[in-house]
Amino acid sequence: MILRILLGLLFVASGGEKLLFPYQNFLYVIQNYQILPPFAEESAARVMPWIELILGVFLILGLWLEWTLRGVLIMILGFLLIVGQALIRRLPLEECGCFGSRWSFPLPVTFLMDIILWTITAYLRIRIERTAFFSLDRYFSKTNQPL
Amino acid sequence: MPKASNPPAKNAIQKKQNTTVLIVILCILLIVIINLLKGYLSQGPKDVSRMRTKGDPNAPVKIVEYIDFQCPACARGVAMLNQYYAAYPKKLYLQMKYFPLDGHQHAQLCARYAECAARQGKFWPFHDLLIARQNDWKGLINADPIFQEIGTAVGLDKLKLEVCLTNDEVKSVILREKENGVALGIQSTPTYFINDQMFVGIKSLESELKTRLGELPSMP
Repeated sequence: MILRILLGLLFVASGGEKLLFPYQNFLYVIQNYQILPPFAEESAARVMPWIELILGVFLILGLWLEWTLRGVLIMILGFLLIVGQALIRRLPLEECGCFGSRWSFPLPVTFLMDIILWTITAYLRIRIERTAFFSLDRYFSKTNQPL
Repeated sequence: MPKASNPPAKNAIQKKQNTTVLIVILCILLIVIINLLKGYLSQGPKDVSRMRTKGDPNAPVKIVEYIDFQCPACARGVAMLNQYYAAYPKKLYLQMKYFPLDGHQHAQLCARYAECAARQGKFWPFHDLLIARQNDWKGLINADPIFQEIGTAVGLDKLKLEVCLTNDEVKSVILREKENGVALGIQSTPTYFINDQMFVGIKSLESELKTRLGELPSMP
């Protein structure tokens, strides 16, 4: 449960940081990775922070945990692919830009962090019963029991 | 015997769905309210020193750039803006503001030199040469001699420059502009405000200039 909440806080911080500043800052980060066509860069810059925020809130509250964890796994896998291709192509990126300007890490560190986060998320998904401890999912499934 | 529907189960799913919708709406509301408050507190880039402007103030395309002289992307942005300015001198109005990044060791000192050059009416020649020679000084531990050299090359008065560099008012102008930039949501450089609309990085700058002014004419 603690791991779940910490992971949720990380996603809320990451999404929230991007949403509280003009989206153009995140668009610049995406452009630097040189992987998406312009229209997709624009859409990703506007949509991705919202997905991060919502997934983070759902993780903290323990809502739709199975689907949320799947979403988080896909998202981190996406980050891994994007950062990985930047590393392979040796793009001149000093920092990942993943948490806005407040916390930013060099690409190899980001790649390593993403692998750790993916492993943690996969573990949470496998141990879903324990992950769901003290969650809204558990609360609703209890109210689901016939009296 | 047919399986009876389970009203408590249906109720629970309905409640869960309602809770989900409520949480998503609350998240959106929270972000929108915070952003509205931030927008209310800071309204566009404030007036800039006339010494750091170029072009016709009535030009249809007004650009305010927040620059860090040590940032490589800023140097590429300057090259692009110079090309556009050469091609469309009557259509562009440029204003420069300081945004020295903490991670760049010479950024503060550069900004001070540039401000001192501005106070002697030589901002643009100093700016152009400083950017053109960025590769010569950005890796140095002590870049001061090169800045002095650039100052001499553009004809800065040495004595005035020395006094200016230690002037607290110069430091506070730079700090104020950076704080103003932070309040506008700037996180990295180069950030441009084209007719008050924000663009970060040269890719966005190029695409917006193409939209507003057209392609750059090919050089002979």
